[in-house]
Amino acid sequence: MSQHIFRDYDNAIRHLQEDLLTMATLTRQNLEQAMQALLRADTDLANTVIAADSDVDELERTVDQIGMEILVRFHPVASDLRLILASMKISTNLERISDHAVGIAKRARKINQGQPLQEVQWLEPLYAQAYGLLRDAMDSYTNHDPVLGQSLHAKDQELDRLHKQLTRTLSEQLETPDGRSTAWLHLIFVARSLERIGDLSVNIGEETVFLESAKDIRHEHRKPAVDTPPPTP
Amino acid sequence: MSPDRSDKIEVHDLHFAYGHTCALKALSFDIPDRQVTAFIGPSGCGKSTLLRCFNRMNDEIPGARVSHGSIHIGGVNINDRSVDVVKLRREVGMVFQKSNPFPRSIFDNVAFGLRLHGMRHSARLTQAVEEALESAALWDEVKDRLHDSALGLSGGQQQRLCIARSLAVKPRIILMDEPCSALDPIATAKVEDLIWTLKQQYTIIIVTHNMQQASRVADHTAFFHLGELVEFSPTLKLFSNPAHKLTEDYLRGTFG
Repeated sequence: MSQHIFRDYDNAIRHLQEDLLTMATLTRQNLEQAMQALLRADTDLANTVIAADSDVDELERTVDQIGMEILVRFHPVASDLRLILASMKISTNLERISDHAVGIAKRARKINQGQPLQEVQWLEPLYAQAYGLLRDAMDSYTNHDPVLGQSLHAKDQELDRLHKQLTRTLSEQLETPDGRSTAWLHLIFVARSLERIGDLSVNIGEETVFLESAKDIRHEHRKPAVDTPPPTP
Repeated sequence: MSPDRSDKIEVHDLHFAYGHTCALKALSFDIPDRQVTAFIGPSGCGKSTLLRCFNRMNDEIPGARVSHGSIHIGGVNINDRSVDVVKLRREVGMVFQKSNPFPRSIFDNVAFGLRLHGMRHSARLTQAVEEALESAALWDEVKDRLHDSALGLSGGQQQRLCIARSLAVKPRIILMDEPCSALDPIATAKVEDLIWTLKQQYTIIIVTHNMQQASRVADHTAFFHLGELVEFSPTLKLFSNPAHKLTEDYLRGTFG
C-alpha cells in the first residue's frame, strides 16, 4: 500500500495490522493447543489455552481502540476506510474463534478426567477442515487475496457436511446406554465449536473480499442465482 | 536548548479586553510543552486573540489589554514590565494564516530574523539557514535555488518557508494561526506532517477552523465559545467523548 504524506497515519495503520496479525497467530495457536489437549489428553495444555485467551481479549480491545483512534483522527476514506472497518470486524471474529478454542480446552479438561476416550480421534477430519479454513481466511487477509477469501464458503460447506455426519454418529452413541453419555455430549459440543470456527473464518474471508474489492458478499450464497428464470405458473 | 527546560504555558484567570469589550473571560488552563495543542471554536470565540496573547502581538492594538490574570511561560509572567517583548517574540514564533514571505530570496527570508538579531558571520548564517530549512522539511526542494525569489515558491512551500523563518531564530514555542487554510490537501498534509515532527523539539499551538486538522495533529484540543474555555482535553477524548454538550454540538454540527 502506498504511503501517506502524514507519516503518523501510516504508523497507526501499521500498529493496527501488527496487532491483528498477532491476534490471529495467538488464536490459531489456541485452537491448535486446545485440540492437542483433547486428542492427546493433555490437561496442562488445556489450562495453557484457557489462560492465554485473555491475551486475545486484550488484543481485541487494542485493535478496537486503535481503529477508533484512526477513525477519529484521520477520517480514513476509500481503501483506508475499508481496512479499518474490516480489521475491526476480523478482530471480533478472531476473538470468538479463540473463545471456541477455550470451550474446546475446557471440555478436553473434563474428558481427560474420565476414562481414555479413543473416539476423540473422530474429530480430526473436522478439525483439519476448520483449521484449514482459519488458515486460509488469514492468508487471504495477509496476502490481499480476495479470490482465496471468496473460496472459503465452498470449504465451509464441506465442514458442515462433516459436522452433520459426525453429529449423527455421536447422537447414535448417545442413545447407546454405555455410561459414557457425558463424554459423547462433550464431543458433540466440540464438533459444534469446530463448525462455528468454520463460519467465523468464512466471515473473515468475506471481510477480506470487502477490503480488497469493495464488494459485500455476505449472505450472497443464500440468494437465488441472478440468471435463474422465475418459476412458470 | 536545554533538554530539561520546561516551556509549559500556564494561563491563570485570564481576562482580555478590546476597549470595553471583553474578548476572553476567566481562562485558566495549562498548555503542556513539546506537544501540539489545537484551539477550535466558532469565529469570534477568542481563540486567535488568546494565541496572540502568548507573544503579546495584541500590544500593537490600541485599547487591547490583559485586564486580569496572567500568562506564565516557563515560569515567567510574560506581561511583567521587565519582559523584553522583542526577546519574547523571538522565543515565541508565529506562523500566519496566509504565508507572508518577504519579496527577497529564499535564503534572505530565512536569514532575516538571524541578521535582525545580530548574526553577521557568513558561514554560521549559511549553516543556520540550512538547518532551519531542513527542520521545515523544505531543504531538499530548495537547496539548488536558495537565491531565487521566495515568491516563486508554491503556496505550501511558502508556508513551510515561513515556518523555517520562524525556526531559524530558535524559538521555544511556535504559534500557528490557521496555517493551512490557504493550502491544497497535499500541501496541508506536508505541513501537518511537519507539525507532528516539530513537536519533538517545540511547543506548538495551532488555531484552526478545520476540526479534522485538529484531530490529526493535536495532542490536546481546547474548545472556546464566546471568549470562554468550554473544554480542554486530550484530542482523542474530546473528539470521541466530549465532556460538555456544547462541545459535542459544535463537533457534530448541531450547534445553534
